[in-house]
Amino acid sequence: MERTELVSKLTAVFRKVFKNNSLNLTNELTANDVDNWDSLSHMLLITEIENTFSIKFKLKDLNKMRKVGDMIDIIMSKL
Amino acid sequence: MTGDSLFIFSFSIMLIKKIILNLIIVTVVVLVLDFTIGRTLRHFYFKETSGFHFRTTHSMEKTEADILVFGSSRANHHYIPEIFEDSLKMTFYNTGRDGNGIFFQTAVLRSALKRYTPKLIIIDYYGEFAKNEEAYDGLQSLLPYYRTHEEIRKFITLKSSFERIKLISEIYPFNSQILSIAIGNLEVNKKRYDDNKGYVPLNTVWQSKIDTISNYQIYPVDSGKIIALREFLDLAKKSEIRVLVIYSPIFQKFEKKQEIEICRDICSIENVPFWDYSKDTLFINHNNIFRDVQHLNNNGAKIFSNLIVNRIKNDLLNAPLNRRVEQKH
Amino acid sequence: MVFTSFNFLIFFPILVIVYYLAPVKFRWHVLLIFSYFFYINVKPVFSLLLAGVTLSTYLFTRLMDNTKIESRKKVFLIMNIVLILLPLFFFKYFGQINKSIISLLESVHLRWWLPEIKLILPIGISFYTFMAIGYTIDVYREEIESEKNLGILALFVSFFPLILSGPIERAKNMLPQFKSLKKLDYEMVVQGSKWMLWGYFMKLVVADRIGIYVEAIYNNIPFHNGTSLLFASTLYPFQVYADLGGYSLIAIGTAKILGINVIQNFRRPFFATSMSEFWRRWHISLISWLTDYIYTPLSFVLRKYGIWGIVIALLITFMISGIWHGAALTFIVWGLMQGLFLSIEALLKNRRILIEKKYNLNNKILYILLGICLTFVLFASSQIFGRAKNLNEAFLVYKRIFTTSGPLFIGNPSAFIFSIFSLSLLLIKDFTDEFIPSGFLLFENKHKFIRIIAYSSIIILILLIGVFDGGQFIYFQF
Repeated sequence: MERTELVSKLTAVFRKVFKNNSLNLTNELTANDVDNWDSLSHMLLITEIENTFSIKFKLKDLNKMRKVGDMIDIIMSKL
Repeated sequence: MTGDSLFIFSFSIMLIKKIILNLIIVTVVVLVLDFTIGRTLRHFYFKETSGFHFRTTHSMEKTEADILVFGSSRANHHYIPEIFEDSLKMTFYNTGRDGNGIFFQTAVLRSALKRYTPKLIIIDYYGEFAKNEEAYDGLQSLLPYYRTHEEIRKFITLKSSFERIKLISEIYPFNSQILSIAIGNLEVNKKRYDDNKGYVPLNTVWQSKIDTISNYQIYPVDSGKIIALREFLDLAKKSEIRVLVIYSPIFQKFEKKQEIEICRDICSIENVPFWDYSKDTLFINHNNIFRDVQHLNNNGAKIFSNLIVNRIKNDLLNAPLNRRVEQKH
Repeated sequence: MVFTSFNFLIFFPILVIVYYLAPVKFRWHVLLIFSYFFYINVKPVFSLLLAGVTLSTYLFTRLMDNTKIESRKKVFLIMNIVLILLPLFFFKYFGQINKSIISLLESVHLRWWLPEIKLILPIGISFYTFMAIGYTIDVYREEIESEKNLGILALFVSFFPLILSGPIERAKNMLPQFKSLKKLDYEMVVQGSKWMLWGYFMKLVVADRIGIYVEAIYNNIPFHNGTSLLFASTLYPFQVYADLGGYSLIAIGTAKILGINVIQNFRRPFFATSMSEFWRRWHISLISWLTDYIYTPLSFVLRKYGIWGIVIALLITFMISGIWHGAALTFIVWGLMQGLFLSIEALLKNRRILIEKKYNLNNKILYILLGICLTFVLFASSQIFGRAKNLNEAFLVYKRIFTTSGPLFIGNPSAFIFSIFSLSLLLIKDFTDEFIPSGFLLFENKHKFIRIIAYSSIIILILLIGVFDGGQFIYFQF
């Protein structure tokens, strides 16, 4: 999968989980920048990503995700 | 030193100077505020004419009563001066103060004895010999007198070895007292010159059934308190003053209490009468003369004071000073 | 010694002078020596335990980094965690577990006898244990390299500002700072001093004053009516905030003066509009630790259960938080209540967001106020379990609040007024910091004159109405 395709698919996931249709992703985006993205919703996000891309994260991966850019890199590495 | 580290060093020196300068400025401002506010508090503390502060000052600096009673709240609320004065034809002052223990009482005695010699001293001893903080915390009541009363200073340093440093502050002796000093100086309280001679009546009635203590509790003893009690008794005896130790009524049923046993032993060694009313049926069968488990109300105090006065007339004043007095209830 | 003792007021300035006189590369040594000196002064024999925990952590993390075999790393991880937790369990929970086993067995007529050991809890053990465990897990997760220098690691575990009662810090934040201590920074010294001063105010004037009043009521629950109990229960959260918050501020300020940045522990928690926001503002270092090392792994493992996985993870995490506070059942109930509140919030979140958007509630002051009050009521009601001696007493408090009323117990009128006055000062400051951050500045005022008067006034206030005789710090039995 190309990075751009991945990003657009990921954007759809974010918009669905955080119920915000105007949300746009950047590499530097973090939880602080998005309303309602907290530790409670994080796991829901993760599950949704796993389902959408048919991948399985490891706990170690989670801890490496500091911002959306990291997330994209890790997803790419699993595809 | 290299050029770089020399620069860093002198830069640090500049910063250190700046820090020290600021510290000095704040310290000076604090000292000035502390001095003005503290002195004001001191002035108004000693202008009170009723209440805790006044009564303690009176006990230490003014009273010349023939009979003094010492103790905590149990002393303060159990011994009615008029009854003693009317019957024994001697002046009486009640120096008891709520929440204060043997250290406070011995300190006040020292101050009183420095000025005159009373004829009889009664100490209402509740017998709190346990190791705890309260007796030491209660020493806060003495702080305003540290400056002018050399004889009590050793008790204040019992609180902590740093008290002397804390007392550099003019405010510290009056910590937490600002409101009570202000209220004590209101016109209504200034007019109320304390003529109850230190006694404070309690007026409610205890409604519950009597407490029963079934086990004999032994606890570690604070030897400092034993020493203080003995010093109290020795001080009195040295000045040839009759001294009397009383355990006043308490609304509890028990077999033995460690503190009563200790008190009895001390009084025996010191050759001083110990009057134990802890089991007197005149009191423990009647809840309505108690305000709570440890305190008689005004009615109870009347009964108790009369009891003591009669016993003093019969047993004590007729006996020579140094005769060994039997311990009886 | 503790921060509010005179000993510390002598210890700390001496430390600062020695610290800044020493060459930069020896400064961490100075900190290590003073930290152990500090702890030995609290309880000499337990410093051996502290050293033991440090040594064990050092060995196992070094072993982890020197093996490539994943399963072996896991073994080292588990071994160190178990080893470190043993003393904590033993000192903190042995007595309670023993009692529970005894009563359980007695109910089926079996006798189990273990000597009743009266154990004093090594002070700070809950805090440094968590810090060591956090570090071990970080090494396992390869988020940080194991520290080769035993001395630096020892300093991390024993760092005196943090050891008695937190904040619970991370190796990732502390170790690099210890290794690159800076020269004297004027701004940091000033900021640290301000924090220390305000921390002393919070602790000595607000917390300890309120504490005396609350204690008078909670130590005699059967004698007080619902009105007094309600009032005391309303004050208690503020007492804990001023107590732990104040103490944390002193700790953070102390570290700042030494040029070290430590995580903030409280951020005006009573302005939170929901329990989840509350827990992002209250005891931040503990929640952050629990989130990273317990909640996240747990909710990750349970993620296939969706929202219910999150609920279970929340309940377990907060139950552990409750247990961390103490062995008593009341703490477990407290923890479960927190978990319950957060779970309900999580479950209702989507619906709530919809309603908020529809009526634009988030900009309405009344709605915000409602959130603040509701959050406070929830937290205060859970704190009844935190304060009561046992479950029966806690339930009695609830019962009385709803069934009896009467005149409010005042106790010592002066003390009562001092409590209300000083609490108001604290709340006003927090309010202006929260909602008008650039106004009403006293400590941060641009005029030096006003700043100096502000510092001096706080010191005078402490002298006037601070509690000087042994107002006990709640978190010390940790």
